[in-house]
Amino acid sequence: MKQRTQLNAAIISFAILIMALIGFDMYARSLEQRYVNALAPLDLTQTINGIALQRAALYQSDLLPVYGSSEITMINTQYDAEKFFATYPTGFTVFQVANLGAASLTMAQDLTALGPDLRGKKIVISFSPATFTMSKLPPEYYAGNFSPLHAYEMIFSPYLSSALKMDAAKRMLDFPTTLQNDSFLDFAVTQMTRTSKVNRILYYLSWPLGELQIMTMRLQDHAEVVSYLWSHPSDPNVKKIPQTIDWSGAFSTALAEQKQYTLSNPLGVEDSDWWYYQHVVTNPIPAGSEDKSFINRVEAHPEWTDFDILLRVLQESGAEPLILSRPMNVHLWEALGVSEQAQDVYYVKLNDSVNQFRMPLVDYQQYGTDIYFSIDQGAHTSRYGWIYVDQTLDEFFHGNLH
Amino acid sequence: MWIKRLTNFFTATYTNPTGRVVLLTLYYLAIIVGLIIMYGRGNFTTPKFVYQGF
Repeated sequence: MKQRTQLNAAIISFAILIMALIGFDMYARSLEQRYVNALAPLDLTQTINGIALQRAALYQSDLLPVYGSSEITMINTQYDAEKFFATYPTGFTVFQVANLGAASLTMAQDLTALGPDLRGKKIVISFSPATFTMSKLPPEYYAGNFSPLHAYEMIFSPYLSSALKMDAAKRMLDFPTTLQNDSFLDFAVTQMTRTSKVNRILYYLSWPLGELQIMTMRLQDHAEVVSYLWSHPSDPNVKKIPQTIDWSGAFSTALAEQKQYTLSNPLGVEDSDWWYYQHVVTNPIPAGSEDKSFINRVEAHPEWTDFDILLRVLQESGAEPLILSRPMNVHLWEALGVSEQAQDVYYVKLNDSVNQFRMPLVDYQQYGTDIYFSIDQGAHTSRYGWIYVDQTLDEFFHGNLH
Repeated sequence: MWIKRLTNFFTATYTNPTGRVVLLTLYYLAIIVGLIIMYGRGNFTTPKFVYQGF
C-alpha cells in the first residue's frame, strides 16, 4: 500500500513535470515569436549558439536570415545590412547569425538544428573567399563557434541521410577539443563515422539518450531567451519606415566614405590594416610567383569538404538558399604574387560546387578589380561593398534576383 | 505555536490516503524543481579566441 502510494505520487509528479515543460515550451515559443524582430539587431549569444530565436525568425515574413562570418561582422558601419535595413525600408530586415571565424561546418550544424522548419524558407549563406584561399580553419575558430546543441542535432538528426551525417561526423572528429568534455557526444560521433554493424547498433542504442539531451538543451535554450526577455524589457513593436532606396546615392556616399579610410595606399586596403601589406610596395613580389602554391592550397582546401556538407544540408532540408560569396581584391592579390588567372581557380571551383545543387550563387567576381569592394586580402566587405550586398539581399528577398 | 499547527496539519493529511499522495507529489515536485534550479541551466558560452585573419 505504501509503495503504491509512492508510485502514484511519482507518476503524478512526472505527469505534472511533463505538462509544465510542455507549457513552458509553448509559452517560450510564443514569446520568441513576438519579440524576435526586436531581438534581431542585438546579435545575442543565444541567436548564434541557440536555435529558438533562429527558428522564430524563420516564421517571420519580414525577416531574412543571413548566416555568415567575418565578412559580415568585421567592420561596424551604417551600410551593413543589419543597419541599412533596420527600419524595414522595403518591407524586411535581416536576421544575422554571424560570428568571426564561423565556417561551413559550423553553419551546417546550425542549419541542421532547424530541421524541417527550413523547408521552403529563404535564407542567405554568406562567406568570403578567404575561407577557401587562405589558411585552413584554425581549431580555435571552430571551437569558438562550437555549439553542443547544434552538434547533437547534427549527429542525431532524423532528417538527414546517414551518408551526410557520417561525412559531417568525420570532420567533427578533426576537432577533438570540442568533444573532449562530452564523452557521450564523442562516443556518438565516433560511432557515426564507422560502418560496421556493431557501430550502427551502438549508434542507434545511443539515439534515445541523444534525443533526450537535445530536448533538454532546447528547453535550456528557451529558458535563456525567456530569462533575457524578462530581465531586458523591450517593445516588441519595432519601428518600420517604408521608403524607396536611392541605390545610386547610397553607392556614391559609401564609396566616398570608403575612400577616406584607404588614403594610405593604392590597393584599397583599410588604413588600419595597411601595415600588414605595405611590404608589397617596399619589396615588390614578382608577378605570379605565388600562383602555384595558391592553386595547390585552394584545390586541396579542406573547407570544400565542409562546404559540400553545408550545401547537402541545405538541399536535404529543402531550404531556398542564396549562396553569397565576395570578390577577391584582384590587384591586392596580384601584388602578393597571385595572378588574376590563378585567382580564377577559386571562382571556378565555387561555381562547380554550387551548380551541382542548382542553388543561386552570387560571387561578385566582376567587381574583383574594384579595390574598394573589400577592406583587405580576406575580402571583408567594405562600406562601399556593403551596398552591393544590400542590393543583392533586397533583390533576393523580393524575388528579383537575376 | 504555528509549528505545532503545521505539524498537526501534515500528520492529519498524511494519515488520509489521498492527502498522503498529494503531500508526496508536492515533495517529489519540490525535489525536481530544486534540481532544475541547481543544475538545469544550460551553458551556451564558447571559448574565446583571437581572430587574426579570414
